Amino acid sequence: MNQREPAEANAAVSAEAWQRALTRFVTVIPHTRGLGLEVVAVDPPEVLLRLPWHDDLLGDAARGLVHGGVLTMLLDTACGSSVLCALPSPEVCPTLDLRVDHYRPAVAGQPLWVRARALRVTASMVFTEGTLWQASAERPVARGIGNFVRLGARNTPPGFARALFAEEDDHA
Amino acid sequence: MLEGFHDVAWLARTRAEGDVAAWLALIPYARRIGVGAAPDPQGEGLIFRLAPEEGNVGNVLLPALHGGVVAAFMETAATLDLMLAAREPRLPRIVDFAIDYLRTARVAPTYARCALLREGRRLANVHVSAWQASEAEPVATARLHFVLATLEGDA
Repeated sequence: MNQREPAEANAAVSAEAWQRALTRFVTVIPHTRGLGLEVVAVDPPEVLLRLPWHDDLLGDAARGLVHGGVLTMLLDTACGSSVLCALPSPEVCPTLDLRVDHYRPAVAGQPLWVRARALRVTASMVFTEGTLWQASAERPVARGIGNFVRLGARNTPPGFARALFAEEDDHA
Repeated sequence: MLEGFHDVAWLARTRAEGDVAAWLALIPYARRIGVGAAPDPQGEGLIFRLAPEEGNVGNVLLPALHGGVVAAFMETAATLDLMLAAREPRLPRIVDFAIDYLRTARVAPTYARCALLREGRRLANVHVSAWQASEAEPVATARLHFVLATLEGDA
């Protein structure tokens, strides 16, 4: 089921190192840092993220429903995280396009879980998919398909990989 | 009962008054990212605005807005625009959403304009274009499908 092919070049980096690196990634992004997004597990090219409940996530306060845009934002972040751990070395990869299907409403009071994986890496693109749920992974709330552009090493700032894998002590 | 989108009398009244601010007040995530709306000076519809808040940044190196926040802004715009433009007060529920990112969204005010391409009995198709410096150079375009719920009097 899992397509391991994209991750082979990164095999030297352990799952734990990737979890720390992607935790750093979502913590550096002001929007996801503000919401307290957590990287629960990384098994390249797959990531599992969790967003704790916060009342700001509501899109309909009276009925207690999550804003659909929160789900899009989470799928974009999770798919983008899966891209990083699928590449031979980390590159900046902006989202080219994203498609989200809303299966059922997400409800107030429960964390949001999202699992995403890179399906295919080419010289210019990374193709990804993600699934989002609350109470049970068997009852998905939304599913996303995102395509990301590889800008390549030349357009990736020097020190990008080093910043992701920096020692923990500068994190305190 | 708490006033809200499910309250048909409240929805009909706020819609008749064009009170989009009352709708935004009930959408905490739209408030968090700083969505506003104002009448289009060149037409009948609305121009939506996303504030360039620090909390909306998704790339600190460029810096640039989070693509997912831009998407959430455009979904909010499409939903509210549809509630206002539909033939009768109805509550849209999103079915699917597709966004194309055309240019980097800088940390600057972002605007959006919506077009209701089809309003059927049950489904609506809305197109959204978002821009910063010039409407002729969009940062993203989006397409959304909604199911239109018919409100019951006692809903």
